[in-house]
Amino acid sequence: MGNRNNLVVLSSDDEENERSLSSNRSYSKPKSRSLVTRSNPNPRRAKKARISNSRSRLSKESSNVNEIGFLYDDFDEVFNGFKVSAGKRESISGFGGSNANGLWVDKYKPRSLEELAVHKKKVEEVKVWFEERLRSSKDEFGHYVLVITGQAGVGKSATIHVIASHLGARVCEWNTPTPVIWQEHLHNSSAGITYTSKLDEFEIFVERIRKYGLIPSSSAKEPKSSNILLIDDLPMTNGKVAFGRLKKCLHLLVRSTRIPTAILLTDYGEADSADQTARCSEELKLYLESAGACKVAFNPITNNSMKKTLSRICRLERFNVTAEQIDLIARASGGDIRNAITSLQFCCLKPDPLRSLSLCETTPTYLREKSDEISALDGESSLKFGRDETLSLFHALGKFLHNKRETENAMALMDQDEFLVRDKFSRLPLKMDAPEKVLCQAHGQARPIADFLHENVLDFLCEEAIDDAWTVASYLSDADMLLATFRGMLTRYNEAENVLQTAAASVAVRGVLFGNSHPSPSRWHAIRRPKLWQVEQSSLCNKTEIVKRRFTGYSGQTLSDLSVVTTEYTPMLKWLGYGTSGGLETHQDLMQDNKTEDNFDKMSLDGQQEIETTDDEIEDW
Amino acid sequence: MLWVDKYRPKTLDNITAHQHIAQNLKKLVTEQDCPHLLFYGPPGSGKKTLIMALLRQMFGPTAEKVKVENKTWKVDAGSRTLDIELTTLSSTNHVELNPSDAGFQDRYIVQEIIKEMAKNRPIDTKGKKGFKVLVLNEVDKLSREAQHSLRRTMEKYSAYCRLILCCNSSSKVTEAIRSRCLNVRINAPTEEEIVKVLELIGKKEGLQLPSGFAALIAEKSNRSLRRAILSFETCRVQQYPFTSKQVISSMDWEEYVAEIASDIMKEQSPKRLFQVRGKLYELLVNCIPPEIILKRLLYELLKKLDAELKHEVCHWAAYYEHRMRLGQKAIFHIEAFVAKFMSIYKSFLIATFG
Repeated sequence: MGNRNNLVVLSSDDEENERSLSSNRSYSKPKSRSLVTRSNPNPRRAKKARISNSRSRLSKESSNVNEIGFLYDDFDEVFNGFKVSAGKRESISGFGGSNANGLWVDKYKPRSLEELAVHKKKVEEVKVWFEERLRSSKDEFGHYVLVITGQAGVGKSATIHVIASHLGARVCEWNTPTPVIWQEHLHNSSAGITYTSKLDEFEIFVERIRKYGLIPSSSAKEPKSSNILLIDDLPMTNGKVAFGRLKKCLHLLVRSTRIPTAILLTDYGEADSADQTARCSEELKLYLESAGACKVAFNPITNNSMKKTLSRICRLERFNVTAEQIDLIARASGGDIRNAITSLQFCCLKPDPLRSLSLCETTPTYLREKSDEISALDGESSLKFGRDETLSLFHALGKFLHNKRETENAMALMDQDEFLVRDKFSRLPLKMDAPEKVLCQAHGQARPIADFLHENVLDFLCEEAIDDAWTVASYLSDADMLLATFRGMLTRYNEAENVLQTAAASVAVRGVLFGNSHPSPSRWHAIRRPKLWQVEQSSLCNKTEIVKRRFTGYSGQTLSDLSVVTTEYTPMLKWLGYGTSGGLETHQDLMQDNKTEDNFDKMSLDGQQEIETTDDEIEDW
Repeated sequence: MLWVDKYRPKTLDNITAHQHIAQNLKKLVTEQDCPHLLFYGPPGSGKKTLIMALLRQMFGPTAEKVKVENKTWKVDAGSRTLDIELTTLSSTNHVELNPSDAGFQDRYIVQEIIKEMAKNRPIDTKGKKGFKVLVLNEVDKLSREAQHSLRRTMEKYSAYCRLILCCNSSSKVTEAIRSRCLNVRINAPTEEEIVKVLELIGKKEGLQLPSGFAALIAEKSNRSLRRAILSFETCRVQQYPFTSKQVISSMDWEEYVAEIASDIMKEQSPKRLFQVRGKLYELLVNCIPPEIILKRLLYELLKKLDAELKHEVCHWAAYYEHRMRLGQKAIFHIEAFVAKFMSIYKSFLIATFG
């Protein structure tokens, strides 16, 4: 037991370290110039102090408002240590070693509005918002909360920090406290410390902010300065109740705070939207807006400004990176500048970046000839850096359905290394990655993919091409058959099921791509959600209805087959007019069409949720 | 009460359409031991009637005192327990149910029920332990796994109960089960037999039947006695006295399928295919079984089709019907058939008329 306790202490220490590191990374200090002088010559000591401090904070577990300022100072100290080295960066890079000091992401944190890669208009918008609130007298504006949304790495926090330093305001941050792990909790409780949930902490924090505002830090260096509150990370919530509490708490914050507050919400890509947290953040966003918060959405960083930033860093680091390579990195990052900078650093670590790049770029020569950068990305080179791109399901479906192909002459180039197929079966090369790869990027599951394709593909066929329609339909039928093969089998077949799923998705997608040999002239099509899902749902409903009523209706002493009931009794009873004999009344409402109509309406209203439950059920079985 | 129920023969002696089989069954039962039975034949041929009559023969009038029960079966399926709800119809001596209503879980149902039945056997008058009869409908709709588990339980508990299975097509019942049962094929009654039955009902109801009217209904009924009686009653409601030229209305879904067929014949394009899909959905929502839709659609299409295409079209219909059975979502396959038909028909039109 004693042993274990030791271990616990260690692990919690580790976590604290990690945390302080990570907060270092995400933290950019306002007013750096004025504070550099206060730099700590011994960063290690500062760190130690910080650890002990945060541990004491943990042990106290009561969030003191002073603490915000305190923490903030604490950060400062660590940072100043850091900043010293950053200040020397010219000299260090003079040695020619980029590995000698920290991450470029921190090193080249934007320090002025000009350095921000975020779109000027957005920055301006945020800046004006803060200016208005900082300068003017209180109570002029209804609310003091700004919600900034955007995907990861678009410079949300950087913008706030830069603007704050521009306006001469202090940023106070709320960072979600480190989660308490179970062992740690055991350790704590044996030491008599009670556990407070992170949500509680956040609630208390918000409460205090509302009531007292920010109390200037004890070591007040700046006698009177304006403050900006930054909430970077909302506490995790699990379940409806906790989420409700968070919402309520935020609502109060929006309504009553008098400090300009920025809440940063990270958008998750469409592709991850199956995730619970993503849905929550979506809901929170709407909720905050309805509560009266002002919202600014940051778009992914554009290629051009990304390239500008990257080349600036290269210049400062004195690395000779080709424009092409920078372009590649910028594209691969998908608008995530943090990632792009790290990629760049990684790329520069290589002994000879130029040669390795040229090596890997030689392979897809025919593609390069067409100067199609996106396909160049597909080559080996892209795998060395950059994020794996994710696609939304709809994006992927769009690719499949529109079926963009190369033109004739490109075909001639390809032909040499392909085996010959009959004219009837040959198609022009696709203008996209291999369908399987696209599927993978979109996290596409076979069943919904097949359903969506089935629902939408006919719109994309040429008016005359009924043969194509058949080809597509037959491939979809194949895919459906594959999907059904192991249906209802239990877990031991999971392996096989995976293979089948992949195969079925592949058959469906490639079938659609192959079959659609005369695509209709491209125009805008909406991609519909499969009507099939509704149909299945309501037919299931009707079926259970019928099964239930089968006995009361026919007064016989035997059960009728479902098919007989639906095909013979039901229409027949309709003819007979309702209610010729006593037991039949129960059937009448079933007969009326508006019954099913009702079901339809309900179904479409309930939308996603309804359908998801069926999906789950089917998977369960 | 519908005429179908009202004039259903109650005893084996009263059976009109399959007298021969009825007599044989009677002999079988009177000789005490009864094997498992599998009745199969097209719909409306009198399987259920025979089964009911047979039960009455075995157990006397008590077999007719049935009660409907909505039972929830708790099934222990390895890691979890399942609750399966199923409606059963039971008397003291027999239980009737449609195991395929349980969907994917049908395999548990069969086992559980037979086990339970085996636990509480009735004791007959001589103090000897008798057996219960389990009537299973729509056996052909059972999944393969369910049929396997049925086979095992059939052997294990054969001392305690007898099974009477009922289905449309014996080809969808596994060999193993078929070989353990006495197979009784019930043919569709001939049109003459149907006419006879209709005339009998007409007489009992005191109706005037013009000559040829019963024949007309019989012809329309597609040799399904139930269908014939049902439409006979409909005609009675619609128009009485009957005339020999009276229109015998077909079922609404059949008309709808005919409409779909004419849509398909009129235009062959992806757009039309999409419209057809919408109509097929309509049918599926109303629980018309997809096999029946496909069959009817083929029938309607063939009516208007040139002879030289019939063979090919039939081939594809059979192909996609099979696919449908293997697959999961019927619409994919029905639609593929429609697309194929359109494709064939269009090229035929172009070849003939240029």
